[in-house]
Amino acid sequence: MMTFCFTGIRSFPKLWKSNPYLGLSPGHPYIFLFLKDCYGIRSQQKWFSLKTASPQNTKAMNLLVARARSLQKGDEGRNKQVSSESHLFAAGAAKKRSQMNPQSRDHALLPVRNNIIQLPTKPLNSEEWDKLKEDFKGKANFENWIISQMAHHNSPIDVAKSLLAWVAIKNNGIVSYNLLVKYLYLCVFHKQTSEVFDVYEIMKARYKSLESGANTLLIRGLIHSDRWKEALLLLEDIKKAMIPSKKNYNDCIQGALLHQDVNIAWNLYQELLSHDIIPMMETLKAFFDFGKDIKDDQYSNKLLDILLYLRNNQLYPGESFAHSIKTWFESIPEEQWKGKFTTIQKSGQCSCCGKNIESIHLSPEEYEFLKGKVMRDVIDGGDQYRKTTPQELKRFQNFVKNCPPFDIVIDGLNVAKMFPKARESQVLERVVSQLAKQNLRVLVLGRKHMLTSRARWRKDEMEKVQKQASCFFADNISEDDPFLLYATLHSGNHCKFITKDLMRDHKACLADAKTQRLFFKWQQGHQLAIINKFPGSKLTFQHILSYDTVVQTTGDSWHIPYDEDLVERYSYEVPTKWLCLQRKT
Amino acid sequence: MPVFIKMSVSITFVRPFTRVLVPFTLNRKRRVLYSTILPRYMSSKIPAVSCPNKESTSPPKQLELDGWKITMKSSVQESVSTVSSTKDEDPVAATRELIEMWRLLGREVPEHISEEELKTIMECASKSSKKKYLKYLYVKEKMKKAKQIKKEIKAAAKEKAKKDQLLETTKEDKQQDFMFLRLWDRNMDIAMGWRGAQAMQFGQPLVFDMAYDNCMKPQELQSTVSQLLESEGWNRRDVDPFHIYFCNLKIDGPFYRELIKRYGEKWNKLLLTATEKSHIDLFPKDSIIYLTADSPNVMTTFKHDKIYIVGSFVDKNLQPGASLAKAKRLNLATECLPLDKYLQWDAGTKNLTLDQMIRILLCLKNTGSWEEALKFVPKRKHTGYLEISQYSQEFVNRVKKLKTFNSFPKGSLNIRTQKK
Repeated sequence: MMTFCFTGIRSFPKLWKSNPYLGLSPGHPYIFLFLKDCYGIRSQQKWFSLKTASPQNTKAMNLLVARARSLQKGDEGRNKQVSSESHLFAAGAAKKRSQMNPQSRDHALLPVRNNIIQLPTKPLNSEEWDKLKEDFKGKANFENWIISQMAHHNSPIDVAKSLLAWVAIKNNGIVSYNLLVKYLYLCVFHKQTSEVFDVYEIMKARYKSLESGANTLLIRGLIHSDRWKEALLLLEDIKKAMIPSKKNYNDCIQGALLHQDVNIAWNLYQELLSHDIIPMMETLKAFFDFGKDIKDDQYSNKLLDILLYLRNNQLYPGESFAHSIKTWFESIPEEQWKGKFTTIQKSGQCSCCGKNIESIHLSPEEYEFLKGKVMRDVIDGGDQYRKTTPQELKRFQNFVKNCPPFDIVIDGLNVAKMFPKARESQVLERVVSQLAKQNLRVLVLGRKHMLTSRARWRKDEMEKVQKQASCFFADNISEDDPFLLYATLHSGNHCKFITKDLMRDHKACLADAKTQRLFFKWQQGHQLAIINKFPGSKLTFQHILSYDTVVQTTGDSWHIPYDEDLVERYSYEVPTKWLCLQRKT
Repeated sequence: MPVFIKMSVSITFVRPFTRVLVPFTLNRKRRVLYSTILPRYMSSKIPAVSCPNKESTSPPKQLELDGWKITMKSSVQESVSTVSSTKDEDPVAATRELIEMWRLLGREVPEHISEEELKTIMECASKSSKKKYLKYLYVKEKMKKAKQIKKEIKAAAKEKAKKDQLLETTKEDKQQDFMFLRLWDRNMDIAMGWRGAQAMQFGQPLVFDMAYDNCMKPQELQSTVSQLLESEGWNRRDVDPFHIYFCNLKIDGPFYRELIKRYGEKWNKLLLTATEKSHIDLFPKDSIIYLTADSPNVMTTFKHDKIYIVGSFVDKNLQPGASLAKAKRLNLATECLPLDKYLQWDAGTKNLTLDQMIRILLCLKNTGSWEEALKFVPKRKHTGYLEISQYSQEFVNRVKKLKTFNSFPKGSLNIRTQKK
């Protein structure tokens, strides 16, 4: 593990030098690797201090090693991937875009923090603790500080226990609540169940009620033991003052499943949903993992319900969850499912089974709904003067009504400012004429200042634009994006719009999550982004998705997109990897 | 009733400490009872130890490590019996308990909490808003406490000084000649009153638009009123105050109530115009300039014949363009301060507080110098003044030369040029 990290670092400068097009080369595996390596080293440092601590950590170490290994492996694959191939909303695309930007390269190395006091690795007696306390120079309370550090570095519980014993001796046998909770954390972390019981007894006896932090820890500590039902009581305790967190529910459900109490688990799940909490993926995964050993139609139906929940909320399972889903499907005896991990072709066909994935286009009702919402929430927004004026809005609506539907709507300012060195009006004119040559009906949206002749906005070129396309110029202080959205929506499903803007602020204007998801779906299917590097070259667009990235079924097949563990996906991106499940007939 | 509330507070406060107060000897007696339980704990302990070799080398240490648990458990029994009578089901009580336990954990929560505040907490929609409110109460309590301590220290120092003085004054009791009685504060107030009355008659109007009360949360509204108070104070102290208008101030609206609460009976004696009418009803539309940071037009000079409007609006909720929309609706001219032209902007929004705004405007009114006026922009928001461009520098020089020609006698000018 260590050697890997260091060789990784050492070999890095060589790679850096050998690649002259670092700023522009498509894949950027090297920078990516470098960042990841640093991360590895940092966490490595953390694990160092742990090494002596407990045998449980070997698991974590293995995980890290596996992570690093798959990183190396995945690297070659990533090399081939060209950035222009992935669409605007593909998982990891934003990260790549940001790495294209040379400025953001610098903050790779972060300082490593040092400890002031060496944390003890074995139990100390009172004198030793006294001495350590004398050495400690800091503002904070020594006991609090040291136990926080121990909790942070997951010290062995014997050490923590000796600290508590020392505190107790000094303090008439009383250990403060704060210390107890931190100690409890260590016990839970090291899975020392009997110790958790002891602390639980102490807390139960000493304090009438506990706060959420201790309750959470106790729940987590108790679920693995045969006293797991008490965890449910603790959950009830939390409910008295506030809504339990999704982690609390997760722990309780896991505990119930661990002890074969399926009903309690499902009830808790229902309760969780009724609080409008989005469950942790671990919770859902636990249901699937448990389902392998159960042959029960009702249970299977509930699992399918979970998949539909994922679909409706546009959630994507993680890699390990995807594996769990696959194993569960394959474990259904009579149905003979076959699962494969795959990707979807540009045409929207699954590379594995050849079936077509659901289209990205909205249904007519959804489309109308979205159109109304964009008009009401994004453009109007309760105050028409915020983004435009009523007069202008009327002018725009009349304009749109009197024009036949467009094929393409262009955000004039966004397109014109694509190349900082080229003249704005010239860029716009080129784009418009290239589109007009393809016999497309084009609408250019802009602001009035584009018409006043200046060095960057030449009159003759703007006139050419107006000849080749319909134009609408909004006031200089109005926003043009809402008009763009509405014009596109008004023209119908075939109409696309050109801008690089991700429209996140307008999406945020929409009232509820459901509408926002609709908007995002529509945007994925209709937004064209220009990816030309140079002003002169022929127009190329980032390829547009024709299929919808969402959990979906046809009855005897399931297609489930999932997040890879090693790809960082932003909230406005969608996964690129799929799980394809087929039933043999 | 209030007495009862106080009592319950103090009980919850004292409870955690009762165990500390309970004499340790009691536990000693109990230990006999617990000796029967002890072996059971010991036996439950042995399989749980993580490092087997450590256990074999130091079994006596193990015994010592667990000793505290017994005392912890034994001291409890009493405290439970004393508290167990309190009702359990009440969510208010549960919240109170929760906050108390959070405090023990070192979280940022207040020590004392009133029933009303507790109700506010219960009404908070989300967990984070609860935490935020608790932190606010915590900080408030801390400040109050610090102030109290400071006050006591000051009082003690004063007491001491008084004593010292008493000793001294006995020595010399000489009569002295004074021109004035010590009535500075009162005289100042009266003078400011005169100036204020003059401003009411002849002063340039400055309008605070109070139509934003429905865009703000109570917290924001309160800070707006604080800023208004401070603005009014700065205006009062100025040599040439504005005639302040509070326009669109709805009687019995939230703004009105808060203002009355803060000003008390002084509200009716304030030398400003508070009206329910809008500024467009009071003044000609073309002389109104609405000041908003979102405006595309930059203010170049302060015009003495215009009526400037400042929106009394603290916007922590990020609703961009609210005031610009207001101005657009009424078709008013808008302007923003030339912050970017004069300052190297660093961080923070361009929205300034109301008191900063009025101080800048007052300064412009009196001196007309932007450099001077923009001193009131918080230093943390910018890194310094921008160099004036070459052209304007030359322009200024030319103007200065002209002035010197006119004002200085020839001889002195010669001296200057010779020096150069």
